[in-house]
Amino acid sequence: MNEITVLFFATMRDRIGERGITLEVPEESRVRDLKRILAERYPGAAEAIGITLVSINREYAFDEDLIPAGAEVAMFPQVSGG
Amino acid sequence: MTEFPTIYSITEDELDLNSLLAQITLPSTGAACVFTGLVRGETGRDGLPPRTEYLEYEAYAPMAEAKMRQVADEIRGRWPTVEGIAIVQRVGRLYPRTPTVLIACTAPHRDTGVFDAARYGIDRLKEIVPIWKKEVSPEGEVWVEGEYTPTPGE
Repeated sequence: MNEITVLFFATMRDRIGERGITLEVPEESRVRDLKRILAERYPGAAEAIGITLVSINREYAFDEDLIPAGAEVAMFPQVSGG
Repeated sequence: MTEFPTIYSITEDELDLNSLLAQITLPSTGAACVFTGLVRGETGRDGLPPRTEYLEYEAYAPMAEAKMRQVADEIRGRWPTVEGIAIVQRVGRLYPRTPTVLIACTAPHRDTGVFDAARYGIDRLKEIVPIWKKEVSPEGEVWVEGEYTPTPGE
């Protein structure tokens, strides 16, 4: 198992109810797998998790991307700065 | 070769437009395009309340600063005549008439792309830099939704 950090911002933080968590995921897990794990853990946020933007180690990531050990993952909605 | 100044940051402090401009002004600079966005108090956009009490900004600061750096690199790739670049976003609770963001580009002359470069900078910030804002009015709170989905490599 790999330990990773998952951070939540804006509407994702509101839905999940946490700023961030650490959790263990199987080695070779992809973004898609992490979304499934989190949707089971936070069923009320499942819909939002399905469409969230994701980053791994501060770069945008996508469903097929592998999550390396120790990764800092973040989940957040489309950005609205300016 | 001269190293051109590039400033990029997320800050909770008041934006000092003059200081930021001074930091990207070189002896060879003859033109600067400074864009700043402000909190609008009277809005009335679709689905949002007509009067804004304040905006609450938050950022994923380390990624936001990395993406600001990327936007600056993209500007330099498109407009090689640009000298200094500043990209600064203020976060926290910001009230109407307050500057929230600054994008500034300097160059020797005004006709070598500084207007387009600054415009590109604010447009890209609104696409890929992880910052969000919540609009707070007497009617309640609404997260402002972005519209852009980054693609691999962005």
